[in-house]
Amino acid sequence: MPIDIYWRIGTHGDQPSLRRRVASRGDWAPGEPGAIAPRVRGGRDDGYTHLDHMADVARASELSGFVGGLLPSFPFTDDPWAAAASLARETTTYRFMIAYQPGFLHPVQAARMSASLQRATGGRVVYNVISGGGGPAQLWWGDKVDHDDRYARTSEFLDVLKGVWDGGPFDYEGRFYRVEGAGLPGPLAGQPFPEIYFSGSSPAAIRAAGRHADYYLSWLEPTAALSAKFAQVREHTEALGRSPRFAVRIDVLARETEEEAWDEIRRGWRHVDPAQLRGPEASGDSVGWLRSASFVEWPVTDLRALEVEPNFWGGFHLLRGGPAFGLVGSYAQVAARLDELIGLGVDAFILAGVPHLEEAHRVGERVLPLLRGHDLRDHGPRADGTGADQGRTPISATRGTP
Amino acid sequence: MTAPVPASPDPVPPVPEFIVTLPTRGDGARGDFGPPPPAPPAFVTDLRPGAYGPFDHLAEIGRAAEIAGFDGALAPFDAGGEESVVVTAGLLRASRWLRGAAGLHPGVATPVYAAKVSASLQRFSGGRLDWRLSVDLDPSVARAQGDFVEGPDRYARADEFLTIAKGVWHEDSYTYEGRFFQVLAGGFQAPLSDRPFPRVHLSGTSPEALDLSARHADVHVFDFAAAQPGVSRQGDVLDALIADLRARAAGHGRALAFGLTLPVLAREDEEEARAEAARRTAAGAPPSGLTGSYDQVADAIRGFAARGVTTFVLEAAPYVEETYRLGEHLLPLLATGTAPAAASDTVKEHEHAD
Repeated sequence: MPIDIYWRIGTHGDQPSLRRRVASRGDWAPGEPGAIAPRVRGGRDDGYTHLDHMADVARASELSGFVGGLLPSFPFTDDPWAAAASLARETTTYRFMIAYQPGFLHPVQAARMSASLQRATGGRVVYNVISGGGGPAQLWWGDKVDHDDRYARTSEFLDVLKGVWDGGPFDYEGRFYRVEGAGLPGPLAGQPFPEIYFSGSSPAAIRAAGRHADYYLSWLEPTAALSAKFAQVREHTEALGRSPRFAVRIDVLARETEEEAWDEIRRGWRHVDPAQLRGPEASGDSVGWLRSASFVEWPVTDLRALEVEPNFWGGFHLLRGGPAFGLVGSYAQVAARLDELIGLGVDAFILAGVPHLEEAHRVGERVLPLLRGHDLRDHGPRADGTGADQGRTPISATRGTP
Repeated sequence: MTAPVPASPDPVPPVPEFIVTLPTRGDGARGDFGPPPPAPPAFVTDLRPGAYGPFDHLAEIGRAAEIAGFDGALAPFDAGGEESVVVTAGLLRASRWLRGAAGLHPGVATPVYAAKVSASLQRFSGGRLDWRLSVDLDPSVARAQGDFVEGPDRYARADEFLTIAKGVWHEDSYTYEGRFFQVLAGGFQAPLSDRPFPRVHLSGTSPEALDLSARHADVHVFDFAAAQPGVSRQGDVLDALIADLRARAAGHGRALAFGLTLPVLAREDEEEARAEAARRTAAGAPPSGLTGSYDQVADAIRGFAARGVTTFVLEAAPYVEETYRLGEHLLPLLATGTAPAAASDTVKEHEHAD
């Protein structure tokens, strides 16, 4: 099985570096000197938009050897469907991993949007199915369904989406969705079904992932925690007769030497608000975020105190928006850590680095060529008795019926 | 297109404005919705297989409309066709001037999500997105989309959909508890809220449809059939509808623009146009709508303009050729500043079977 390596696109602008937390690429920091996309020219903005910058990141990613990128979705971001549909025709190989919450689109509409987008891109759509972080943000979206029910809804949503995908007619009556004689129009039917990267750390998420995920996607966590999480997912998934694949979303700060890498972190650390080092703030009902915070001993006094094991650093959220853990080190160290994760069972990565454009080239050109990959993975059956590929049920055999 | 889009101020649609309708179920044998066109014999080199996909034809029509001077393009909501938001996003990205009207139905997404996707498209396009809302689908089509709302409730839901979508776009900490949708302490912040809300195109002639437009429409688009003289003995239907809707909108302190969906078949002279219409009828094609010379069609359009219509949603196939033709021969006759004239009674009007 090849390893798919993605490179995230910021849908919320980007910072020129981790040194200052100002997203002056895209228009989230208007008036900031040096702000671009749009840039002020002759007293007016130049007509370029955040999408033009995203297009640059997408092209840099595909040129540097990444298979595509994750397009995140939050209340303050641009929308991934809008971005993917806009950039479909100006990329060549780039796979658009669209993050979305199933409750916000009707599954038949999502199917038709996806099928049209598959036709527009030549089959380059990938799903990052998220079921919501809960809390005020969930109500902001207009969604009152509670945490565990959101995963039940996600399950139904994907049942209906898969049910109409090959044309129908498809009937369904569930708790959340009901359709009668549904299906895609003939020319849209039967496109390759988008691979599903499924996020969520709670038991409800892991149950739903077992049924629907092609890849179970986690933020980076310390090795032991990640390994335990994978074991839990394997247990649930294999009980359903499927074999899971794993993906990890990782921020990377890699330089020629380890010293250079930590020096770059140190330059950003000078601007961190000391209040943020006292302890984590809970946010909604996201289990993932609470887990991240639990791996660190608070309060934190020094940036290296957030290095919970070699090169695993839990302070990225202090330097830019997003998850806490990432890898910091030399090119060789970062490649070695990625290899170890492959050895742990990881089949796909979503890497990211700030700034995304330049770091796509750096990581693509300097880190990816150092990967050794499969020769580090245990040969033969795994310790838990499963082979790397055996027992994997193709997605078509798991299409839901009510 | 990597060329910059118009930045600010936002482009204001010209009056009158001309919109081309995109064939999201293929344009005859172009695209893969109809029977495939005959292939060249095997000894003729054919480089196309694998190089082109179904969206290349739509993109070609979008470029034609942009180059030929149209003001916009409509991707209708059609459960049996290509998805309209995806089509519109690609169209806007590949153009500088065209407005893109995306067909939507209030059952396909929450209003917050529809607004969120649209806020990005407005940002990416310099504010060139319009919404064309379909409210009353055929019941079996609706049920296949998971929509079991029927009767006047469909208009109540559309009202909530538009109210909430506009609410989160324009207000901070926006809360709405409706029968169909809700949002709590929602609302977009800068820069997502910086562009204007998409212009809303609505249609229909029922009292519920007219009331919805009175509250929400920027443009109310009538069918060509509704504009035909002689449909009703009570006088001209279009004039009556426009007067009715103006009065309803005034009751809400609003004004709106009026549009007309207009199938056209225009040629150098009337004889040529009628010959082409006859050829098409013989081939089983639907009636061609407004048929005549460029001057005759322009006169008819001026006539509608004189009655208050400012948005013309033209339908003409084959789309690339007819878009160029209308851009080169019809639109110059109707350039802004041309004085409206009385409708010509020499123009041959066929009723358009919807």
